[in-house]
This record gives sequence, structure tokens and C-alpha cells, in this order.
Amino acid sequence: MAGQEGGALDSASGTDRPPSGSLSFVDSIKTDIAIVGAGGAGLRAALAAAEARPDLGIALISKVVPMRSHTVAAEGGAAGVVQAHDRLEDHFNDTVSGGDWLCEQDVVEFFVRRAAAELTQLEHWGCPWSRQADGRVAVRAFGGMGTERTWYAADKTGFHLLTTLFQTALRHPGIRRFDEHFCLDLLVADGRVQGVVALDLAAGAIRLIQAKAVILATGGAGRVYRFNTNGGIVTGDGLALAYRHRVPLRDMEFVQYHPTGLPGTGVLVTEGCRGEGGILLNRDGYRYLQDYGLGPETPIGQPRNRTMELGPRDRLSQAFWFEQQKGRTLRHPVWGDVVQLDLRHLGEARIDERLPFVRELARAYANVDPVHEPIPVRPAVHYTMGGIETDCRAATRLPGLFAVGECASTGLHGANRLGSNSLTELLVFGRVAGEEAAQIAATTSLDASPALRREADAIAARARSLINPDGQESVPALRDALGEAMEAGLGIFRTEEGMQQTADQIASLKRRYRAARVTDRSNVFNTEWLQALELGFLLDVAEAMVHSALARRESRGAHHRLDAYRSRDDERFLKHTLSRFRDDGPPEIGHAPVTITTSPPAQRSYGGDGRGSGER
Amino acid sequence: MSARRPYIRPMPRTWWLRNPVFRRYMLREATALFVGGYGLVLLWGLSALRQGEGAWLAYLAGLSHPLALAFHTLALAMALYHTVTWFALTPKLMPSRIGNRPIPARWVKAAHYGLFALCSLVILLLAAGVH
Amino acid sequence: MNGTIVIEVQRYRPEQDPHPWWQAFELDYRPEMSVLDALHQIRDRHDSGLAYRWSCRMAICGSCGLMVDGVPRLGCKTFLRDYYPDRIRLGPLAHFPIERDLIVDLRDFLDKLAAVKPYLIRAAQDERPSEPRRQTPAQLARFLPFAQCISCGLCYAACPEYGLNNRFFGPAALALLHRYNRDSRDQGRAERLPTMNAEDGVWGCTFVGYCSQVCPKGVDPAAAINQGKIVSVIDYVRHLVGLSPATLGQDATQEGER
Repeated sequence: MAGQEGGALDSASGTDRPPSGSLSFVDSIKTDIAIVGAGGAGLRAALAAAEARPDLGIALISKVVPMRSHTVAAEGGAAGVVQAHDRLEDHFNDTVSGGDWLCEQDVVEFFVRRAAAELTQLEHWGCPWSRQADGRVAVRAFGGMGTERTWYAADKTGFHLLTTLFQTALRHPGIRRFDEHFCLDLLVADGRVQGVVALDLAAGAIRLIQAKAVILATGGAGRVYRFNTNGGIVTGDGLALAYRHRVPLRDMEFVQYHPTGLPGTGVLVTEGCRGEGGILLNRDGYRYLQDYGLGPETPIGQPRNRTMELGPRDRLSQAFWFEQQKGRTLRHPVWGDVVQLDLRHLGEARIDERLPFVRELARAYANVDPVHEPIPVRPAVHYTMGGIETDCRAATRLPGLFAVGECASTGLHGANRLGSNSLTELLVFGRVAGEEAAQIAATTSLDASPALRREADAIAARARSLINPDGQESVPALRDALGEAMEAGLGIFRTEEGMQQTADQIASLKRRYRAARVTDRSNVFNTEWLQALELGFLLDVAEAMVHSALARRESRGAHHRLDAYRSRDDERFLKHTLSRFRDDGPPEIGHAPVTITTSPPAQRSYGGDGRGSGER
Repeated sequence: MSARRPYIRPMPRTWWLRNPVFRRYMLREATALFVGGYGLVLLWGLSALRQGEGAWLAYLAGLSHPLALAFHTLALAMALYHTVTWFALTPKLMPSRIGNRPIPARWVKAAHYGLFALCSLVILLLAAGVH
Repeated sequence: MNGTIVIEVQRYRPEQDPHPWWQAFELDYRPEMSVLDALHQIRDRHDSGLAYRWSCRMAICGSCGLMVDGVPRLGCKTFLRDYYPDRIRLGPLAHFPIERDLIVDLRDFLDKLAAVKPYLIRAAQDERPSEPRRQTPAQLARFLPFAQCISCGLCYAACPEYGLNNRFFGPAALALLHRYNRDSRDQGRAERLPTMNAEDGVWGCTFVGYCSQVCPKGVDPAAAINQGKIVSVIDYVRHLVGLSPATLGQDATQEGER
């Protein structure tokens, strides 16, 4: 129970002056490019635009301070072909087979060609890549990759990447930051995007930011689930913003479970642990992955690419599920079922050099020192493969609107993303988006704004209408119910019945959301209101996920079914799912063809069957 | 327009009393007063030596006054406190590495104590030699 | 094992309260709960209006700094079990203006981070921009500890010099400056010298050392600043004997490349 008690400062709660809750707009800002989201993708786009055209005005809008963006939590590394014996074709084939042939192959070709150059650019900007003894950049093994091609900065690659981009961006006077500005909506008029409307969280003011091009770089939507590796800010904002403007979301059914999250919290334990030679054990101390087509068992301390612990994430998470069904996981009194990630054979020196953050996290959040004990782990929702449909130039179907990073679906990841492809994706496509947007800004002019102003007023009023002290529904309760519904029906394995139940629950949650209770009418850091706005985004994204999943009557990559559709069906489902928003009901689901260039669909094979990466 | 009204907390004069780290820090800073005072006493002695035997004897007599003894004891304690706390900080000032590996902080501290002991010994021997 | 714990939170709602006040909440206690979990519980069950920042809940995003019983800490990496059954007092980070409840205004701090030229400065265009430069593990180790800062602001809340005079550049910014000065790929030391030499640069520090104690990432800003003082003194002496700072910059780089 909450009770007010006398405090040392002042026991009374101040004056009785209630907040007015009625600030209206203060300013409208004109700029060339508006970028929503200032994580790795948004910053890379801003840098590319500023370098292409230093005279451009670039508004970098983030609901947090850029360094808080969730790129910061990426650990393992970023893939790019750099070793003499490695080949672009191999990176291509690993990615396409890892994505279970749902990748846009022209996009993958473009990506693997650009990857190393982007990572090198980052080196020139000061990123502290880990090095070999002779000073060359070091690379490590990663799941599903046929050879070592993952560049890393110990196990804080995302942190260092984000820091480098953020600090480099400080050099460009054209980049104007709007920190702690929450994007309420896109401004669309005359068939193209014209800017955004954002809430300044500190001032409580609403700003109209008019722009010639808008880049969405808001990250994924892992928070639609309860147990996930994502930060609290990963609420699918950009996905929902584009979706509500009828930009299709593609392949939303593919949600990646990372095989090694810490139980209880879901804190990420990097795949780099296994890249360095860590092993996964069930309750009997048995390396169970060999029972799931990933063997033969490799000797401890000699990891082999695409084998055992270095299989792809979808397969590893599915293997955990089977072990759980067989009762071969460990049962922890507080955390439930776990398996063990054993790093002890790596030794303290190697762990401290390559995996210091994992050691820190395991000690703090699992009370285990990996030097002396195995780490308890279980799969946790990690990444949304799908997103706002874009082409190879990061452009969406809405003229002037670009999407990049986890919120986008360029078609790179297909049905299952390989670890370390997404950090490189931020750079490759962030740059493309920035350059393309700069191009558009050069050839477009801003419209006169009275109509936009009215539209922005309407957006502000809609957002304000969510403040409803008389509402009956608790926002935290709705949020938790959503997370549970998604886990129940849209987990590692799915059934028609379970998914339908989840779809029904989401429909009901969306109805209840209209009566959400938001009591705080104040303007300064009204985080209660913010949470309610975010929940609205989460619900729309979740609905797209579940209906996309229902429509995919096959099993592929991260979408695996236990009902009549247990295998891949290239005849009917070698195609993308497109989810289109409707005001009055579930989304309209359509399909689009998959671009195949050089790699026709084949059996996905790992371990002894995979024979390295040369599978085509 | 903004609804912001940031509250700036005043820093009370007693800020250093509320945290033991700050109290130890202020004590370390205060040792300077005693070390400085001791320096003045030595200067007084030098000046007495220059003025002649009478002044020098008066100076020596002054040193054996109970108050002077108390001051010297206190100044010694303060100087030692300063020495210990300063030596504890020295590893930060000397980022020493051998190859990739940092030299452990306690080695740096130990080296300082070693040098301190050596200097003290030399001074004691010199003093014994004079007598 | 499971009981209740009392958490006192400092509140300040700028549109209602003339000044901050304390409010106590009695929460369900579990030993694995962090201070951040406790704040979530207050917000979800007791007072939806409580404002605080958070995101990653794994001590890397730097959002959730606050004062726990007067000590600057990350909420996500501070556990109730280390205080239980005593009550805990949570306040906003010291020395910063309070925006609302536990949220402080970090703009001055962020501006200072930006002002130290925290990026690689090169004298000339790189010869081979398409290739990564070499940097040995030993060269990397020279600056890597200073590159771990998550800009959480705990060190500013720990620094009485910043509290007394907020023109002082402060621990994190000067540590960041030091990080780039020590990078073998950087040649910008001379450009950063005026910042270091200024009264509010390294000489504003009196070596309290508390910043390094509270840093959740082991950055050791006190070391960085006081090593900076040595660089600053050397620069002063060189100036006296007529050597230009530009020469110093080159020397420093050569030292870095060794």
C-alpha cells in the first residue's frame, strides 16, 4: 500500500495548483531531413546526409538521448568479409540459407558488398575494434556464419559503434538534435510525407517539424512480448507510425528468439560467447544440440562454424523448446526452465579480454561468475525480422519516407536473421537512406504550411484525448496482458488455435485500450501519457504480427508451427507477407514475391550436413 | 513556450559532512594547514640561528613547551595521513603498463612506501652521524 | 524471504510543487529486485505519475542514474537485497537541476561532453581510407578503459567541485578528452589543450576521487584528469622554453604510436 509519510524535506505535497494540461503548439520548425530515432541507423543516416550535403538542415529526433538508444546493448559484433580466404558469395549464401530463402537476394548482394567498407569507415571514425597482435582488425565466429567474419569491440560492439557514430555526428553543425522528443505522427499531404509532429517531453510542447524527407529509424518492437532482451524504449513506434499511414509491414510473423537470455530479466548474453567456444548443456550436462541436426558434437574449445553452438538462432531456440518438452532442462525455483551456457574452459584471461561485459552481467543479474560456474540461460525475444517494407534504397512506398534498421524490412534477413548482420545493416542502409534523403531534399521544396498546421493541431488533439482520468483500464495491466498473449500464441512454436486466440485477445485489448486510464494532466515529463501512447503502437504492431503469422501456413525460419503446417512450403509460401492497416478491424494480409538471383531454395543444413558455408 | 520549472538545489556549506568520502577528503585538504605551520616553525628556527646563540636557545626552549610538543605530534600525524592518502592515489597518476598488462595498483603504492622508507632511513642515519 | 520494504522517493512536480518532498511506499520485496524494479512497482501499482528515466535495464544505456541513500548509482544495477530490511531513500542525481521527480536536466553535462572534441582529429587525409588502420592491442589498451563511459552522469553527482561551480568541465568530459588524446590514431591533442589548461579544465579538479568510486563502468575519471594535469604542466613548461603546442601535439602522437 502506498502511504504518504513525513519526509525530511517537506511532508506536504506542495500547493494545490493543478496542472493545466493544455499547452498547445509553440513552434513549427522547417528543415530538410527529419530522422526519427537516433540509434545506430538514425545516426548513420544523419552522417551520410551531412557528408553528402553539409548545407542541409537535419533534424535528429529521439525520444531519448541518442546514447540511450538500444543499439547500445548489442554485444557480439558486426559482419563483413575481411579475411583473405573469405568470400562475398559465402557471406551471401550464409545469410540466404540462414534466412530460409525468404531474403531479397539482390538486397543481400548489395549488403555483403558494402559491409566491410562500412566497418572500415567506422574504424576511421575511431571505433575501438578489437585487434590481432599485429594490429589488424580481429574477427570472431558467429552462429550460422561459415567462417569468422564478425568484427567486434570486445562484447560491447553496439555500445562502441553507437558512441563512435554519436561523437562523430557532433562534428556536423547541420545535424540538430531534438533529444527527448517523442514522435506522435507523420505529416502526410499530397501523397507524400511532409514532416513529423513531436512532443517535447521536457517542455510539454508539441512541435511541427516540416521536412522534405523523413527517415524512420526507431528500432524494433520486442516489447510486445514480456520476456525479451530489449530495452523499455523498444516499442515499435516507427513501425506503427508508417503502418497507420497504410505503408505495408512485411514479414511481421518472424520474431527472433535469442537462445541465450538471462532468466528472470531477459538480459542478453551474446552469441559471441559461443563464437569464442562456449557450450550449451542440458540438466544432464549433455550438449543437446547434437540431437537436433546440429552435430556431430565438436570437441570442447574447438568450435566449428555452422555446427552445434554455432548454428542459427531459430534452430537453437527450437532445440531448447524440445528439451523443455522432454523435461531435460533445469528447473530454477524463481526463473523456471533454463539450460546452461558453460564458458569455464575459456579461462579467466580470455573471458576478461573478449567477454568482460558478459561476466559483469552474469554476476549482477544471475549471481554467477562465468569463470567458475555455467550461466543459466533460456531463449528470449530479441529481434523483429520484419518491418516497414522498403526497397534496396531504404525507400518505402510512401514518397519521401525512408525506413532503416530494425524497424525496416529491406528483405535482408528473410525468415531468420543471422547474428551480427544487423549492426552492419544499420551502417549499410543507414548510409543509403541518408544519401537518398539528401538527394530528395535537393530537388524538393517545402509547401506552405497552413494545411499542415491544421493537420498537426488534429494530431496533437488526438494524442491529448488519450489523457482520460476516468478510464477504466489500467495501462500496465493491458501491457502485461499483451505480452502474455503474444508469448502464449506467438512463441517459438505456433499453432492455428493458439495464434487465433492471441489474435482475439489483441482485438479485445485494442477495444479496452480505448478506455485506458491516464490520470496525469501535467506537461513536464508526463511519462504516464507516454506509456499509453507507446502501448497504442505496441498493440498495432502485435496485431500485424499475429495476423501475418496466421496467414503463413507453413514453417520457415523463426515461424514454426506444430499443426498441419510443420514444413516449409515453397510452392505456396516462398513469398513475403504484407500487412496493411485497417481502421475497423484486423489488417488486410497480402503477399509479394521474393527476389531470387543466384540461390534457388534448397535444404537448410547445419553441422555435419552443412559442410562449412559452401552450400548452394 | 515551456512548462519547465527546473528546481536547482542549493549546495549547503556543510556539503562535506554528509558523506564519509567527503569528510576524509576535507581532512586530507586540512593537513596542508599543519604541514604549513610546521614549515613556519622551521623558518623561525632558521631565523633564530642567524640571530645568534641566545635566540637559538630561546627557540629550542620554545620547542620543548608542551604546546609545541602537542603541535608537532599533531603535525606528524597529519603529515602521515597526507602521505598515506596521497600514496593511495598515486596509481591513478601513473598509468603504468608492461606491454598490454597494467601494473597492479599495489605495486605502485608499494614502490612509494619503499622509497619513503629509504629516504627516512637515510635522514635518520645522517642525523645519527651528526650526533 | 519475501516480505515488504519501504522505499522513500523524492518527488517534485514542477507544475504543482514549490519544492521537492519525500513520499514513502511499502513494496513487495523479492531478493532479485533492483531499485529500477522497485520504481516500476511503484509506478504500476501505487502512483502512475512517478517520473523516472530507464531503458536497457542492463547497465549500458546510462538512463537510470539516481541517488540511493545519498550515493550516485544506476537503478538497474543496485539491488534491494543489499539494503533489506532497511528502508531506502531514492533521490534525483545530485548537482543537476530537477525537472520532475527523479528526472534531472543533463543538458549542461551533455554539452560538456560534446565540447571536448570527442572524435578523431587527423592532420591530413588518410592515405588509404579503404583499409582499416593498424592498432596493436597495446595501443588499444592505452585508451580503452576511458572509452567505456555510458554518460550516465553519476560522476557529476559525485563531484563536489561540479556542485560548487558548474563551469568546471567535470569528470566524464575530461575522461573523454583523455580517451581521444591517448588513441594512437588521433592527432588532436594540441587542439584539446586549451580546454585542459583552462581554469575550468583539469585544474578545476582537487582530486576528491569520488567520481572513480561511483563509476559503474570502471572508467576512472580521476586518473584521466590528474594525468591530464601532468600533460598540462609539461605544456606550460614547453611554452616557457619556447616550444609551440603544435610540436607537443606531434610528440604526443609519436608517443602514442610507439
